[in-house]
Amino acid sequence: MIRKLDSFFEPRSVAVIGATSGRHKPGNDILLNIAANGYSGELYLVNPKGGEIMGKKVYCSIGDLPLGIDLAVIILPAILNPQAIRECALRGIKAIVLAAGGFSEVDEEGRLLQAELEAVVKETGVRVIGPNTSGVTSTPFHFTSSFFPLGRIPRGHISYIAQTGNFATHTMRYIATGEHYGVARVVGIGNKVDVDESDVLEYYATDPETESIFVYLESLKSPRRFLEIARETTRRKPIIMLKGGSTEGGSHAAGAHTAALASDDRIIDGALKQAGIARIYKYSHLILAAKALSAMPLPRGNRVSYLAPSGAMLVAMTDMCQKYWNLEVPALEESSRSRLQEISPPYIRMRNPVDIWPSAIVHGIEFAYREGMEAVLKDPHIDAVVPILMITDETGVPDLQFVVDLARKYPGKPIYVTFSAEKKHMEAAKAFLEPRGVPTFPMIEEPFEVLSILEQCRRYMDRDAAKKGAI
Amino acid sequence: MKEIENLLKEAMGQNRRTLSEYESSRLLMAYGIPTAKGALGRDWDEVKKAAAKIGYPVVLKVCSPEVSHKTESGLVAVGLRNEADLEAAFKRIGEASPVKDADCLVQEMVKGGRELVVGMVRDPQFGPCVMFGLGGIFTEVLGDVTFRPAPLVESDAMEMLMEIRGNKILGAVRGMEAVDLDSLVQCLMAMGKIGMAHEEIQAIDVNPLIVRGNSPVAVDALVILKSNNGI
Repeated sequence: MIRKLDSFFEPRSVAVIGATSGRHKPGNDILLNIAANGYSGELYLVNPKGGEIMGKKVYCSIGDLPLGIDLAVIILPAILNPQAIRECALRGIKAIVLAAGGFSEVDEEGRLLQAELEAVVKETGVRVIGPNTSGVTSTPFHFTSSFFPLGRIPRGHISYIAQTGNFATHTMRYIATGEHYGVARVVGIGNKVDVDESDVLEYYATDPETESIFVYLESLKSPRRFLEIARETTRRKPIIMLKGGSTEGGSHAAGAHTAALASDDRIIDGALKQAGIARIYKYSHLILAAKALSAMPLPRGNRVSYLAPSGAMLVAMTDMCQKYWNLEVPALEESSRSRLQEISPPYIRMRNPVDIWPSAIVHGIEFAYREGMEAVLKDPHIDAVVPILMITDETGVPDLQFVVDLARKYPGKPIYVTFSAEKKHMEAAKAFLEPRGVPTFPMIEEPFEVLSILEQCRRYMDRDAAKKGAI
Repeated sequence: MKEIENLLKEAMGQNRRTLSEYESSRLLMAYGIPTAKGALGRDWDEVKKAAAKIGYPVVLKVCSPEVSHKTESGLVAVGLRNEADLEAAFKRIGEASPVKDADCLVQEMVKGGRELVVGMVRDPQFGPCVMFGLGGIFTEVLGDVTFRPAPLVESDAMEMLMEIRGNKILGAVRGMEAVDLDSLVQCLMAMGKIGMAHEEIQAIDVNPLIVRGNSPVAVDALVILKSNNGI
C-alpha cells in the first residue's frame, strides 16, 4: 500500500534545490546530513553555478533535472520559492520541503508571499511541508532533510511532530548526543501551507516504524480532524503532547457563564482527554517520556514501588505521588514484604516504599538493591519500580549488571533508575545502563513524572475495557 | 425538530441575541433534557390559570428575550405558596420590569439541595463544546467545570462527571440520594447534539440544573444566538 506522504518519509530519489559547496551553509549542511545518515536513494543537486559538489554533478536548473524525482528540498530565499515549486511540479515532483523562513511569521510582505505559496500549491497539486522548517527525518529510510548539522541520527520507534524549528535541529542534536534512544520519524511542520499536524499524525498512526508519538504544537490547523485521528490511534499507540501558547481570550460570546469559563486551556484539556492524548506541560518530558517508552513497556497501571537510601526521599516522594502524580504506592503482598524483611535488620519493619539502606549496611549495596528490587518486581500489586541508587566513592560503586538482568527477567514492568549519587557515578551508570535498555533520570522526581504521564496513556488505551467510574 | 428550527429562524430574523426563557426550555425539552414545568401568561388571568394547572408552590419570572439577569433585577419571585402570594408577586414584578406588559413565566418550584450547571459554547477552534460543573453561584465563584468537544459518547460524558473537583456532590451525601448518573449523561449528550445541530446557537447555560431527589431538572436556561454578522 502506498500511503499518503510516503514521498516525504521514504523518497527513492531526492533533489536538493540550492545545494552549495560553501561550508556551514544550510545548502551544504543538508548534504553532509544526508551522507552521514547513509541515504541510499538517488540524490540530485541543483545550483545555477553548476559544477560538482562532493563529487556529484550539479544541475544548473530545476528544468534540467530528470523527470519523476520523489522529493525536492528547496533551500532558497523566500521570494524564490513560488517559482521553484512551479518548476518542480513541471518535472513531476509531487512532494516538496520548503526550508526558508521569512513568510507569515515575520511581516505583512511575508504573509502575502505565503498566500502566494498556498495558491501555487493548490494550482500545482504538489504536497508541501513548510515553509520555515527543517522538514523531515526518517531513520528507517536513512534520510533527513535537516539543514542543521546533526550527524547520524539514531534509529528507534519514537516519532515526533513539532511546530518549532528548534526541535528537529538542536533538540534532536541533544537526543543524538546526550541520550541513548532513537527516533523513527521527525517532522517540523513549520508554517503549514499544506501538510498539517493531522496529515502527519495520520501517517504515524499506521506507520509500523512508529510505536509512540510525541507532539509539540502551538496551533492546530485542523483541530477536529486531529482529535478524531488521535482518538482512534491512542487505542494502540500512546500520544503525548505539549501544547504551547494560547490564543487571546475574548473570542467567545459574552453573557453566558459557559462562554466566560471556556478558556483555551480548559477546552484544550477536555479535547485532549477526549482524544486520549496525554497532556504534558514540561518541554523536557518530550525527551524523558520518550526515553522511558523506548526502553521499557508501557506500565500496566499506576502502582509504583521505589527503593531509597533515605527516609526523606521515601516520605517526600510518597507525598508527591498522591498529591501531583496520581500514582499509588500500594501495600505489598505478604510474601514480598517478608522477603524484604528477610534481607533487612530486624529493627526496621519493611513495607512499600522500600527503605533499602539498613539492608545495604548489612549486606552491601548490590545485594540489597538486587534482592529488594526483585521482591517488588515479583509483587502482583506493583506496575513499575524506581530504584533510587546510592552511588558514591565512600558507600561503594556497585556493578550495575544486576539491574540489566532484572529488567530482562521482568520484561512486563518498567524499571526507571534515578540516583542519590555523585555526578561522575550517575554519568557512568547512565552510560552503562541505557545502552543495555534501562533508562536513567538524573533528578529524583523525573521517573515519577514520566510514570504519571505513561500511566495516563495506559488508561486511555484501556478505556474501552474500563467500567464506569465510581465516585 | 421543525418547531425548534422555526423558533430559531424567527429569533435570528428578528436580530435577537437570546431566546426567551420559555423558548429556551422548549429547546431543551425537544432534546429530552428534563425541564421544570412552566407556562406563559400574558395577563393576571392567564398567570393565575397557569399556576393552578402547574400546582403551588410556583415561581414567577418575567419572560422576555430582552431581559436577562432576572434575579439581580428583582424579576423573579420564588416559593409562591398560593394565589395571594402569586398576585402580590405579579404586581411587584410588573412594576420592576423594564419591559412593560412583558409575558410572565409561571414555573413549578423545583426543590433540591444540589445545583449543577450544563452548558454549550461554540469554540472558534474546536466547534461546539459541552460544559459540566458545579452550578448556581458556585459556577462563577469556583469555576469547577470541565469541557469536551461535541458530539459526546457516553464515556465522554461519564468522564466529565468524574472530572470535576467537587464530584462527590453526585454521590450519596448528607442524607441525599446518589444522583442518577445516566440521566445526567443523557443531559450532557443532548447538549452536544444541540450544539451539533444548530449553528445559530453560540452558547447555552443551563444554570441551575437542580437535582430533585436523584434526578436533574433544568430550572433556568439561557440560549445565546450568533449575531447576524457572525460573532
